[in-house]
Formats: sequence, C-alpha cells, structure tokens
Amino acid sequence: MAPEQIIGRIFGVNPGKIDDTTSNTTLEEWDSMGHVNLIMELESTYGVSLSPDDALQMTNVATIKRILQSRGASW
Amino acid sequence: MSSVRDLTDSRLGGLPSDLLEQLVKAATKASTAPQAIAALAELDPSEAVAWLLVNEQLARALCPAGELGKLVDTVVRASLGDSNGARVSNLAQLASRYADIVGADTVAALAVELPYEKPGAGVKETLARVLERQPGHAGLLRAAVDRALRGHDSAEAHRLLTELGRADDSQATLHYIWRRRGSLQPSGGPPVRVAFMSSFTVDPLAHYLDLECRGLGLEPEIYVTPFNSWAQEIIGEDSGLRRFDPEVAFLSVAIDDLITETSGSPAQAQLDEAGATAVGRILAAASQFSDWSDGVLVVHGFHSAFADPYGILGGRAGKSRSAWLADLDAELAEGLSRFPRAFLLNMAEIFARRPGGSYDNPKMRHMASMRLCGPVVGEVARAYTRYIAPAKGLTRKCVVLDLDNTLWGGIVGEDGPHGIRLGGTSPGSEYQEFQRFLLSLTERGFLLAINSKNNPEDALEVVRSHEAMVLREDVFSAMRINWLPKPENMKSLAEELNIGIDSLIFIDDNPNERAIMRQALPQVLVPEMPNDPSLYRSTVEALPQLQKLTVTEEDRTRTQLYRAKRQRDQTRLGAGSLDEYLESLEIAVSIGQVDEASLARVHQLFQRTNQFNLTTRRYTAGELGAVARDPTCRLYALKARDRFGDHGLVATALVRTENGTWIVDSFLMSCRVIGYGVETALLATLSEDARAAGAKELIGEYIETAKNAPARDFYPRHGFTELGAQGQATRWQRSLADELTVPPKWIRLEVS
Repeated sequence: MAPEQIIGRIFGVNPGKIDDTTSNTTLEEWDSMGHVNLIMELESTYGVSLSPDDALQMTNVATIKRILQSRGASW
Repeated sequence: MSSVRDLTDSRLGGLPSDLLEQLVKAATKASTAPQAIAALAELDPSEAVAWLLVNEQLARALCPAGELGKLVDTVVRASLGDSNGARVSNLAQLASRYADIVGADTVAALAVELPYEKPGAGVKETLARVLERQPGHAGLLRAAVDRALRGHDSAEAHRLLTELGRADDSQATLHYIWRRRGSLQPSGGPPVRVAFMSSFTVDPLAHYLDLECRGLGLEPEIYVTPFNSWAQEIIGEDSGLRRFDPEVAFLSVAIDDLITETSGSPAQAQLDEAGATAVGRILAAASQFSDWSDGVLVVHGFHSAFADPYGILGGRAGKSRSAWLADLDAELAEGLSRFPRAFLLNMAEIFARRPGGSYDNPKMRHMASMRLCGPVVGEVARAYTRYIAPAKGLTRKCVVLDLDNTLWGGIVGEDGPHGIRLGGTSPGSEYQEFQRFLLSLTERGFLLAINSKNNPEDALEVVRSHEAMVLREDVFSAMRINWLPKPENMKSLAEELNIGIDSLIFIDDNPNERAIMRQALPQVLVPEMPNDPSLYRSTVEALPQLQKLTVTEEDRTRTQLYRAKRQRDQTRLGAGSLDEYLESLEIAVSIGQVDEASLARVHQLFQRTNQFNLTTRRYTAGELGAVARDPTCRLYALKARDRFGDHGLVATALVRTENGTWIVDSFLMSCRVIGYGVETALLATLSEDARAAGAKELIGEYIETAKNAPARDFYPRHGFTELGAQGQATRWQRSLADELTVPPKWIRLEVS
C-alpha cells in the first residue's frame, strides 16, 4: 500500500487528491493526534522503526516517502 | 476450433478486432466461457463490461458463481486503473447487476472513484447489498460513510460510523470516526456529559468511549481537561470542567507523572512518602470534585510503565514495586469509599484481560505523552461504560434465560435429564460457571426468569433435581416453559413481573431465536452470544446494563420479594372478594421523612420508577439530598410489608411548600405494590401533615408520559379538582378544610 493510500485512510480523504506536496499545513484533517496515528501506522505497515526526529520531520508526503525509502521500505 | 489460449496468444500477431469477435463467440460456449471472459477482461476491459452487461443471464448460466464473481472483480479493477476503461457509470451498473457475487473490496474501490453527483448509478444500493453479504467490511463501510456524508444524511452516517468502529477499532480509524461525527447533526439519543481529567494523553480513549456510548444509544458530549491541568480544573471556581458539569468524570493520573522517581530506584522510605502524598492529592481532588458535582467520579487505579528496578530481586529487600502499587490502590479505594458517588477503576483487572501486548508503548509515551496504548484502550473504554450506563438509568431489571445449550449443554428433550452436559468437569463445567454468575446477579437485585421451548416436565426435572444445577426453581421470579413463540412469552413475563419490556435482557444460544426477538421486541436487550459456552460468563458479565452504582437492601432481597408476590397471587386466586384478599394480606406501612440511610433507595426509586410516577422528575442524588435538608420541603418515604414478606421502601413523595401551600412535586411508587392502596395511605399522611402545618389546600402535579398511565387517575380518584396546566404539568387541587383522605381499612399504619 502506497503512503498516499495510508494517509488517505487515516485522514479520511481521497488518496487521489494526495500528492508529494500534501502536508500538515495543507490538509486540515492532519492534526497532532492524527500525526501520532500516522507514524504508528507507517511503522506497522512497512515494518520500519521511526525515530522521534523522523516523526518531527515527516510532516509532508515527499519527506515521508524519502525517509521511508531510506529505511528500505517499498510499495 | 482454436482454444482460448491460442486466441489470446495470437493477439501478438495483430487483428485485435477479429480476436475480440472470436473471444465474444467463445464466451457464449459453456466449455470456454470462463476463460474467454477472463481473456476479454484482460485485453479489453470495456468490451468485457459491455459483454457482461448484455449477457448477464448467459454468463450466470455458463460460469460458476464464485468464478464469475472473480471475473467481475477483474473487469472492474482493470477498468478503474485504465484511463481508457469503461465509463465508471457502466462499472457501477455492472457492480449493481452482479451485487450478489462481486467482491467487497472491488465495490469499495469503485465507490471511491465514482463521482457522487452521478445520479441513478445505484451505488448506495449496491453498497448496502454487498454489506449485507459482508457486514463489517471496513472498506465498504468507509465508502458508504463517505456517500452518506456527501448526501448530508447524518442519521445514516452515524449508524455507518458506529459499524465501522466495530469493524476496525484501530486508533487511527476511531480518530477518523470522531472527526467525522463532529460535522454531523446529533444522533438524537439521550445526551450524556463525560469528562476526562488526566495527567496524560487520553484522546484515543475519548474517541473509543464516544463509540461505546453510541453503542448504548447515548449521544456523548465529551470534555477533556487541557493538558496536565486536571488539578487546576477541579479546584478552579470557573474552570471549563466546572462549567461543563459532567454527569460522569474519569480521573486518570499516572503514578509516573506524580512521582518521577519511579523510573529510577529511590529508597523505600522515599517511595512510601511520595506514595502517601500521591494518594493524598487524588483524594483531595475527589473531595473537591464531590463538593461541587453530583456526577459519578471514576478514578483509575495506579499503574506504572516501569518494572521493579531490582529485577528478580524485587521484593527481597523491602516491598516490590507491584506490592507498593497494590498498597497505594488499597489506600485509594478506602479513601474513595467515603464519597458515595466515587469509584476506583481496578486497572489490574483490565490489564489482566487486555488483548494483545503491553499497555505501555515507550515510543508513544515519550513522543505523545500516552500512557495507555493499543488494544487496552478499548478495554478501558468498555470499563468506563459500566459506570455510564447505570448513571444514565440504562440498567435493566431482569435476565430472561433460555435453557437447552444456554444453562446446560445439550437438549433435555432428546438427551434426557441425565444426558445433558452440566457438572464440575468439561463439557458441562462451562454452564455451571455461567449459572454461578447468574446467581450472583440476584444478590445485586436483578431478577432471573426462564423463557424456553421445552416440555415443562423435562425441563423442570433438571431444574429441580439435577445435582449440578446451581439455579433452582426458587431463584426464578417467573417461568415460561412451553412451545409458544418466545416474544409472546416475553410479553407475558413482563406483565407478570410488572416491569417494562425495556427492562428485560434475553439470553439465548440460538441465533434465530435472538433474531426473532430483536425483530418482534426491539426494546428487549438481546446480546450476541458466542458459540463457545466457556465464554458465556464473560460475555454477560461485560454488559454495562448489568451494573449498578449502589446496592440497596431492597436489591439484595428482591428475588425473595418476587417469590412472596407469587405466593400472594396464588392466595388471591383462592380468596373471595378483592377486599377479603387485601384484608388477608395484613399489610402494614410506615411513613417517615427520608434520612441519610434511606436516601440511596429513594434516589433509586426516582431514577427507575416509570409506571406509578406522577411527574417522572429524575432528580439526582445531590438534588434529593439538598431537598431532604431544605426546611421548606418534605421528602417522604414509605415502607410496606405483609404476611408474606417485607416490600421495603416502595414509595416516596416530594412536597414543596410555598407561602403555606403544599405542592406535591413528585409522588411515585414501585410497581411491585400497585393495587394495594399504599399510595392512598401516603396521601392520607401527607394531607394530615399539611393541615397540621396550617396549609389550607394541597396542590398535586401530574405530567403524562408514555409509561405512567397507572398513575393518571390518582388525583381525580382522591377527590382533587383540576386547576389547569402549569408548564408541562397539570395541576390538581384539594381543600384541606373538608374531610381528609383516609388510608384504606386493610392497611395498618405504623409509627416510624
């Protein structure tokens, strides 16, 4: 499952409307609790461990993909 | 003739239109249809869609249903991904035609793609039909929610969101559900105000509780105190919490937040001192809360994220960490018992039951201040509803039980009284364990009854004589063992016990009987029962509708009360006139003012009496306490007994005096004593007191409800004349100058 799909499901938006520029400032539904849920969901979907620093940076789709790929995740 | 495989291979050589023609032809032959349609789906999805729409009958005749369903899936999937694919409205039509076999995932994906504005595509209906086949499919539910939201159908969206929460209770999904509800109209259920006061992040818990409350039919309003300000919010005169005025409040303060040293290895003395301070802080907060709130307060027991720092040596030198925590909990429990509406939530019990993994997620504890994580959150939310349900009067009164495969294993009519499974070893010990739990319910004031399809002789032989039977005939307040439809029996049970159908819980192992009951009598609570009898006990134990916030003397003896009632009813059959019968009962009543000891029971009557209740004003315990202390009010309590037993405190009346006039604000009586004239005795005492206090007239109020018909003629029957409406109420008046109401001659008044 692509990160866009996960983000779409967690925040309840159509994955087709999510691109690399989508971020916690462009998406109203992306609040702090949602961010915590997103990090946990990414960890369990891709079997990776994300550090607190990662979590702080992963506030837009492009960065999320870059960090996930650097940990060997693929979709 | 060339095979389908040859045909598809030959596409490399060109002639696609020719190929398609041949494939279409092959699709109409039984031997080659499935492969041909599959090949069509692969090569030209839109052609396949068109073919399937035109040749539905043929396709169904030629392909096995399972295979055809998969083919439809392939076609729709391929078309969705393909920009040249069939138009989505055609796909919607296709899914609708094949709704009985198309895959749930496919329909969910299609629904997301299809513009909502497209009319006549029937997507809503297709979703509903596929959901019927696969209830609890999260993807379908999300798609259905989406369409309900876009259609501004709040009621439907609420219903679907609740189902979605049941299907997928991950933290992320519950958060999504919670946010979505925010944009909807209220669901229309009775509201309940719930507050969270916590030293850590409880948002996931709040989201979960929202779902559970809606499962109970309530519309929750939730307040979470701002981060780490639980103490200020409880103390502050004008805090958000105080303005919110919760009906139920949950205080969760982590011991690790109160005592930061728990992560290290402090000396025993230091821990003990810090522990005492921590308990003191919580109890002070409980005391302050109880000063300004009538609400129920539930305090989490202590739990720590940290294991004993001495490892396996913990407990060798001084108290182990877990022994220390258990001691603190005991102190907390003792302190809280001083407040009648405060409870300690036993976290150890919840953790013991928690499904899947630890409640502590170290990463989330650091990142998001979360101290309860994962599936345990749902367990805690469900524990919360065990306080909310009784606080909102959702407690049921009677558990009605099936017999075969519910109270024992097997069918007594077939296996014989000695062939059924019931005893100390398995199979059979599961049922005995369940029966023991049911028996304990009678000690908290719940009634048990039987509603079963059996030959009465067979069933009664087991109930009376089987050595392993825990529930004997005398614990059942009423029995229906016959071959009538169970809903009919249910109605007559409610009538015999004189309680509403909405006071009943029906336990039956048979899904058909459960479905029939839900259909015929939706007011009856019919829990889903597991197939495995070893899970019966925990399933019924978990019902929030079987919790009470207080247990009164009346509760403890209720089963005996109903047994005495049965004896009375039998006497009645033998007695001559009604007067002779009432005379023979030797009824005695005592009437007095409510005091500390009787307040809990009077509050219970105010909460639960529906039938003989003149105004049905549901005062809180705090309000009634204030009334009892108010010199301008009188709060009467009536106790009754007769030669068959003690009825206990069964009637109460609240009088307000205004400028010398006595106004009966509330007057209510347990349905157990309807028909004995007890209410007349209470009115007589009240009238005498009023005249003695110098009142010239007595004013009574009546507010009609759906349930209080038995009380409708109370005032006219006692010589009151109607004054007209006052707000919701009708007022009735009777002069105290004339002769006063007298108690019925068969009732003896005792001084209390």
